[in-house]
Amino acid sequence: MIIELGHFAVITALVLAVLGIVSPIVGLKRRDAVWVEVGRQAVTLNFVLISVGMLAMIYAYLTHDYSVKYVYATSNTKLSIFYKIAGLWGGHEGSLLLWAWVLALFCMMAVHIHWKTQPAVMPYLISIESVVLTGFLLLTLFLSNPFERIFPVPADGKDLNPLLQDPAMVLHPPFLYLGYVGLSIPFSFAMAALFSGRLGEEWIKATQKWTLAAWLFLTIGILMGGYWAYYELGWGGYWGWDPVENAAFMPWLVATAFLHSVMVQETRKMFKVWNLFLIILAFSLSLIGTFLVRSGILSSVHSFATDPGRGLFILGFVAFMLLLSFGTLILRSAKLKSQIEMDSVISREAVFLFNNLFFLVALITVFVGTLYPLLVEALQFKKVSVGPPYYNTVFMPVALGLVFLMGIGPYIPWRKASAQNLKDLFLMPSLVALGGLVFFLAVGIRHSYALAGLTVVCFVAVAIFRDFAKISSFWAKREQVGRLQGFLTAYKKNPRRLSGILTHIGVLVMIIGIIFSTIYQTEKILIMKPGDEVGLGSYRLKLIRLYGAQGVNWEAQEGLFNVYKGEALIAQLRPQKRFYTVSQTPTTETAIHQVLMGHVFVTIPEVSPDGTWARVRALHNPLVLWVWYGGGIMGIGVILNILRKTRLKVTAARPQAAAPEGAVSLPRQAREEVLQHRSNRWQSFLNAVRPGRKEV
Amino acid sequence: MKEMAENKSPSAGVRGWQIALLVGIFGLIILFYKGLWGNPSFIPPVIVGTAAPEITAPDLYQPREVTLSQFRGKVVVLNFWASWCLECKLEHQNLLAIQKRFGENPNFVMLGVNYQDKEDLARQYLQEHGNNFEHVRDLKGRISIDYGVYGVPETFVIDQNGVIRHKQIGPIVGETYTFLVEGLIEPLLNGTATTS
Repeated sequence: MIIELGHFAVITALVLAVLGIVSPIVGLKRRDAVWVEVGRQAVTLNFVLISVGMLAMIYAYLTHDYSVKYVYATSNTKLSIFYKIAGLWGGHEGSLLLWAWVLALFCMMAVHIHWKTQPAVMPYLISIESVVLTGFLLLTLFLSNPFERIFPVPADGKDLNPLLQDPAMVLHPPFLYLGYVGLSIPFSFAMAALFSGRLGEEWIKATQKWTLAAWLFLTIGILMGGYWAYYELGWGGYWGWDPVENAAFMPWLVATAFLHSVMVQETRKMFKVWNLFLIILAFSLSLIGTFLVRSGILSSVHSFATDPGRGLFILGFVAFMLLLSFGTLILRSAKLKSQIEMDSVISREAVFLFNNLFFLVALITVFVGTLYPLLVEALQFKKVSVGPPYYNTVFMPVALGLVFLMGIGPYIPWRKASAQNLKDLFLMPSLVALGGLVFFLAVGIRHSYALAGLTVVCFVAVAIFRDFAKISSFWAKREQVGRLQGFLTAYKKNPRRLSGILTHIGVLVMIIGIIFSTIYQTEKILIMKPGDEVGLGSYRLKLIRLYGAQGVNWEAQEGLFNVYKGEALIAQLRPQKRFYTVSQTPTTETAIHQVLMGHVFVTIPEVSPDGTWARVRALHNPLVLWVWYGGGIMGIGVILNILRKTRLKVTAARPQAAAPEGAVSLPRQAREEVLQHRSNRWQSFLNAVRPGRKEV
Repeated sequence: MKEMAENKSPSAGVRGWQIALLVGIFGLIILFYKGLWGNPSFIPPVIVGTAAPEITAPDLYQPREVTLSQFRGKVVVLNFWASWCLECKLEHQNLLAIQKRFGENPNFVMLGVNYQDKEDLARQYLQEHGNNFEHVRDLKGRISIDYGVYGVPETFVIDQNGVIRHKQIGPIVGETYTFLVEGLIEPLLNGTATTS
């Protein structure tokens, strides 16, 4: 019964989502706030209803209700509670329900947060978010229904895919969804701006933190996926240019470009069409990514069921969204001419322009590489795949260029930099970088990308450090305090800039990690018998013995390896060739020992049936932890950026009507204002929409 | 960047990128639509049991061209690999073992096809992991396309008449190795092979 209750709740949510598309628009046409209020309530109710659906599914998982087909397919009585709940997004149907739930949650939050400050665009926002929600609910209910029952009821479930039975993998999809769906809010704001004609900087300011949060979630999701590939898939690498990895990477690239280019619009009111284009592109790529992954039209390590009917529906939906959003942009673009031209190629806006160009080149590279096999197939009915060499060839120089810009962008003045500016800012970093290059050559680094990468990292690090030192001493002098205090003051004065730069520092750390763990990786693949040894850089690995092992739902052949440094035994490693009995799936369990900031990494992909030898893959990945530490620092930077206080200006459609709201800067006053606002929300809405629309 | 273009020639500039964008969107939708009717994990069955497409490719080590037709009358094992491919490394020792086992037989040839790779990386790979058979380079991906290869490693077994008898997707390890050696290559060489 509970499942039917959940099913019914989600069906009701679909009806309300359709209502949420229509009623705000009717409200705008009729200038009647009641209709808009209906849309707003529908948004809240939708979240509640889809939550009921989610809870019903979780209840079915916890009570082992295998009469529910999807639960049967993705769970098993032997699983721990954590993985039982994670079964919900362990397959196609549940993932879509989760998508819809996150969308409803974010939409409710956005409406709640922005209702009082952005009343004029809210009806559009509700309507657009409802379009997206309707699409996903239709897909969930009609083509991949998680509430479907089966009869006769199986005694036990088929088990969650063993590859997913891992904490990083359990959290990887939800974080990606949070990122994808998070992008829908800035997207909806952009669309609302296009529809309402309020095309100024408001939407950019209102969506800053949404974009940052979405970016953070995407980053975490991608890094978790990388970590999972690293040790669960046993790649020993974290990035393989797999089409599904690329599907998540593409919106990330565009979102990153967007986060940078909005600053140009905020400060210089340039790049207006460009910013709208970028955010529409970012969310479109989220949808395209969903399509690519869910329709299974690309071959990848992520094996999802393919179903042309389902794919066709998602395609229809994606096509509709693409045409709606880009079409509106095209129709509205004539109104969006920027009044300001670039003053000089040597200016911060120019750096941002190059930043965007580089990100776009990176995007096109990945996009073409991902879709090329599809294109070849469509034209010649043949299959091909694009390998890492293609991506690396284009990607490396672009990445180097982007890192280099990181050392320039934050410091070069807006409009036009003078020769003196440039000398002051970049002479010292350039000299130190040059010194660094000589040093790296002297210590024997010969690989061209490693040399170039480390030199650029030097340049940027010095630029950042110099800036820190300068502002610290400036505030220290002015406030008569110590340097550290001065730095903290500087942070308080401009938290956005400094948290942004902290993110850049994270990027530098990550790049050092990537350079060392890929270029200076030692890899040995060989057959070993007990007693055999293999050298691994300055470490030695000895296979002691091979034996059987058993877990709750798996059996394994395990190898015991001693790791030596010189003559000293520093660790014992136990990699496994594991076999999950319920789902009849083999997996390769990695054993890792941490050395300094790197890893000694062992897998046994194959063990002889009689257990006398094993195929061993042993790796030494120096500084590989820096990749994730760098990711952590990036994350902290973005979190600080999100947490900083901002004053959201109340912007009504009619400036005169909004006059008293100009004083909202004081917190106390703001609170009173809000309270008052709530009491006559209807009236304020009427004020906001009644006068003719204002073109900004 | 767009803004600058617009300022210079409002109408022409605007129309240009708008049309390009629309064309791009429609192109993408059509491509996706066509892609839906393909199946990425589907292997065209026609290829097994049909004549192996001809290969003309440069040898990895010597300045000469290798053709498949020169091996007519022999059993040919064609292995597609790349230095960046992890699973290729897993099967590599087994490939060496196959060559060791049958290499003496004048009716057996194993040919590696290096796929989407850099020449120096390919050579370095063979130096590290060992090599005892001949390799050619698939310079333009042409051979891979002819053979319908969509990922490495893939291995083809071609009989004395130039007919593809088996296509193996993924690494030759464990049971696959036993099947390939004892169930396929040996019977073919002995002339005792039934249909596979």
